[in-house]
Amino acid sequence: MKNTKVGYRRKEMIWSLIFVMPPVLGFLIFGLAPLLTSFGLSFMSWDMLTPSKFVGADNFNYMFNDEKFYKSLYNTFFLLLGIPVGMVISMILAIMMNRKLSGISIFRTIYYIPVISPIIAVSLLWQWMLNYDYGLVNEFIWKIFGTQGPNWLGDPNWVKPSFIIMGLWGGVGGTMVLYLAGLQGISSTYYEAAEVDGATRWHQFKHITLPLLSPIHFYVVVMGIIGTFQSFSQMYILAADGGPEYSGATIVYYIFQEAFKYFNMGYASSVAWVLGILIFIITLVQFRLSKRWVYQD
Amino acid sequence: MATWKNGKVWMAAMLCLIIVLAGCSSNNGGSKENTNNSKNNSNAAAEQDSTNTGATNAATDGGADAKSSIEFMGWGGDTEKAVFQKLIDAYMKKYPNKKVKYTVVPSAEYYQKLDTLIAAKKTPDVFYAGGANFNKLVASGVLKNLQPMLDSSSLVDQTNVWPAGLDRYRFDGTTTGQGDIYGLPKDVGPWTFAYNKDLFDKAGLPYPSAKAGEYTWDDMIADAKKLTVANDRGKIDTFGVAGYSTESAVWANGGDWTDGKGTITIDTPEFAQAMQFVADLSLVNKVSPSPDDEKAQNGYARFVAGKIAMFPMGPWDQPGFWDLPFNWDIAAWPASPNTGKTATWLGSLGFVVSDKTEFPDDAFRLAAYLSLDQESQKQNYELGQAVPNLIDMAKGEFLQMDKKPENRQVFLDIISDYGRPPIENSSKNTKWLDTFWQDASVVWNGKQSAAEFVKAEQPKLQKLYDESNK
Repeated sequence: MKNTKVGYRRKEMIWSLIFVMPPVLGFLIFGLAPLLTSFGLSFMSWDMLTPSKFVGADNFNYMFNDEKFYKSLYNTFFLLLGIPVGMVISMILAIMMNRKLSGISIFRTIYYIPVISPIIAVSLLWQWMLNYDYGLVNEFIWKIFGTQGPNWLGDPNWVKPSFIIMGLWGGVGGTMVLYLAGLQGISSTYYEAAEVDGATRWHQFKHITLPLLSPIHFYVVVMGIIGTFQSFSQMYILAADGGPEYSGATIVYYIFQEAFKYFNMGYASSVAWVLGILIFIITLVQFRLSKRWVYQD
Repeated sequence: MATWKNGKVWMAAMLCLIIVLAGCSSNNGGSKENTNNSKNNSNAAAEQDSTNTGATNAATDGGADAKSSIEFMGWGGDTEKAVFQKLIDAYMKKYPNKKVKYTVVPSAEYYQKLDTLIAAKKTPDVFYAGGANFNKLVASGVLKNLQPMLDSSSLVDQTNVWPAGLDRYRFDGTTTGQGDIYGLPKDVGPWTFAYNKDLFDKAGLPYPSAKAGEYTWDDMIADAKKLTVANDRGKIDTFGVAGYSTESAVWANGGDWTDGKGTITIDTPEFAQAMQFVADLSLVNKVSPSPDDEKAQNGYARFVAGKIAMFPMGPWDQPGFWDLPFNWDIAAWPASPNTGKTATWLGSLGFVVSDKTEFPDDAFRLAAYLSLDQESQKQNYELGQAVPNLIDMAKGEFLQMDKKPENRQVFLDIISDYGRPPIENSSKNTKWLDTFWQDASVVWNGKQSAAEFVKAEQPKLQKLYDESNK
C-alpha cells in the first residue's frame, strides 16, 4: 500500500533536501564544525605553530585565577546597565513617534540612521567628540555647566560610561522600531474602554501600554544581554590596549587578544565556551522568569 | 521532461557546491592554489635542479637560471609597497626564470594571517618576522637555517652587514641572539632623540650633544624647563620634551626588564629610579605632557606642530619630518647622571625563509637580494625609510646625504654602539610586556610611586613571562 506513494514521496524528499542543503551545509561547515573544534581545543594548548597538546582542565584553572578574566567579565556586566536605560529612552521615542503627524517618517528615519551606520566610523567620530580637551561633548559641558567635563576615554572610571553612551546612541533607534511595532499592535479598543472608565493618560500607559508591550520588553532584554556580552568593535577601536587599567576590555575583547595576539587558541576557546555557557544560563533564567511577567495574547 | 528536471536538480546542487567552495577559498586567501598547481606542473624538474646545484656549488652563483616560483609576504604602507614592488620587478628582470608573488597584508593583521597560513601548511616562502614573533617562529621550527647558504653563497658579504642587524636573527636551538643565522635584516631602526632647533634658538640654549654621555638627564630637565611655555590662559602650550623613552632611561641607569636568563628584574632600585625620572618629567617637573594631555593630542602631533622641543624619532619618520616648517636635528639620548651612560633601542625586522619551502636556494636568493642589494638599499635610504644595512654604504653616501638630520652619525652610533634590541626580543610573547605597560599607567599618573609599583608588579610579570616562554 505504501509502495504507491514512494515515487512521489521520494521526489518530494529529494527536492526538500536540495532546498535545505545550502543552509544546512553552511551551518555544518561554518557553525557546527568550529563549535566542536573549539570545544576540543578548550582542553588543549595550541599556538597554531606547534602541534596541540592535551592539557585537561588547565585552561579553566588558569582562567579562574586570571585577573584580566575577572576584570573583563566585570566590565562586560557593567555595560549591561545600558540596557534598561536604552529601553526607557527608546520607549519614550517610540511613543513620541507613534503619532499621526506629517513628516513623522522622516523623524523615524533620523533616529534609525545610527543603527545602520558602520560601527568603525561611528566609533572614530565618538573618539573625537569625547576628546578631553577639544571634544564637542566637553565643550558643551563647559558652555552649559561651566565646568570641565570628564576625561571620557582616558579615565578608568569613565571609559565604560562612554561606551554605554555610544551604545545608546547607536542602539535606541533599532529598539524604537520594535516598540513602535508593538505600540501599533495594541488595539485601540483597550484605550477607548479605559477612557470611558475615566482612566488618565498615565493610567492608560501604566495598565495598558506597558503590560501589552511586555513581549517586546522581553525580546529587547534577551537580545540586549546577548549583544552586550558579545560587544567588541567599539573597544577594539577606542581602547586598543584594553583602555586605562584594562577598564575598557570586554570578555570578547579578551578572547580576541588571547587568540589573535598571543595565539593561545586553546585558552581562548575555553574562555569562549565559558562565555557561551554563561549566556545560555542567563537566557534560560530569563525564559523561566518571563512566565511571570510577559503577557501573551 | 525528466532531463529538464534533472538539469534543475544539478543546477541546485552546483549552486550549493559553489556557495560552499566560495566560502572555503576566501578563507584560504584566494589564488594561492593556482600558483601551487603551476609550481607543481611545470617546475618540478627545475626545482630538483636548483636544489642539486645549490648543494654542490660552493661560493658560486649556481642555479641562477633555474626556474622557481616564490611567495613573498610582508606588510607596509603605500611607500613600502611601491618600493618592494619595484625591487621585485627588478629581481624578476634579472632572473627571468624566477617568479615572485608579493602579498601585502595590513600590519595589524599580519601575524594573524601568517600564523593561519602556517597552521594550514601554506607558509609563504619568504616573509617578514621580527621581535618576539621571530623568537616564537624560530623556536617552533618554522624557519630555515640560512647559515649553510650564507657561508657558501657569493651573494652576501657578511662582514659588510651591521653585526647588530645579523645577530638579531641568530638562534642556537634554545636562545636567540647567538648561533646560526635564521633571517636577514630588512632594516635596522635606531630610536633617536630629535629636537626642534628653532625652539632651542628662541630660548637661547645650546643644542643637545650628538655624542653619547655628554648631555645628561639633569641637563635635559634644566633645558626643558626653559623650553616649556604656558599660554595666557595658564595652560602649557609648548613642552620641553615628550614621549621620553622608558627603555632608554632604564637601560642608561643600569636596569633592565629581564636578566636575559628568564628572570624579571624590574624590582631593582636602578629600574625604579629611572621609571620615576620619566614619570616626574610630567608629574614634578611639568616639562612633558601628562597622560591626559597625551590623550587629547599625542606627542607626535604636538612635535609636528612645533609645540615640543625634544621628541624621539626613528629613521622612518624622516619623510614626514622633512616637510616640517622648522629646523630640527637628532642628538644622543641623554645619559643617566648615575652611570654616565646612555642607551636606546634598535629595532629590526627580518626576512626569513620557511623551512618547508620548495625552493630554498631561491628563497634565500630573494631574501638576500631584498636585504642587501645595493640598489634597493640606496633607494630605501633616499626615500627616508631606513638606514642602509650595508656598512660601507651607511658610512659613505648615507652620511653625506644632503637632507635632515645633519647629525646622521647618531644613527650609526646607536647601531654600532649603544643601541639594544627592543625589550620584546627577550621573549617569545609580549603578553607580560603588554601587561607591564598597561599597569604602568598608575606610575605615569602619579597614583603610585615607581618603587612601589615595580615591587608589586614583579611577581605578576614573572608568572606571565614564564607561561609564555616555557
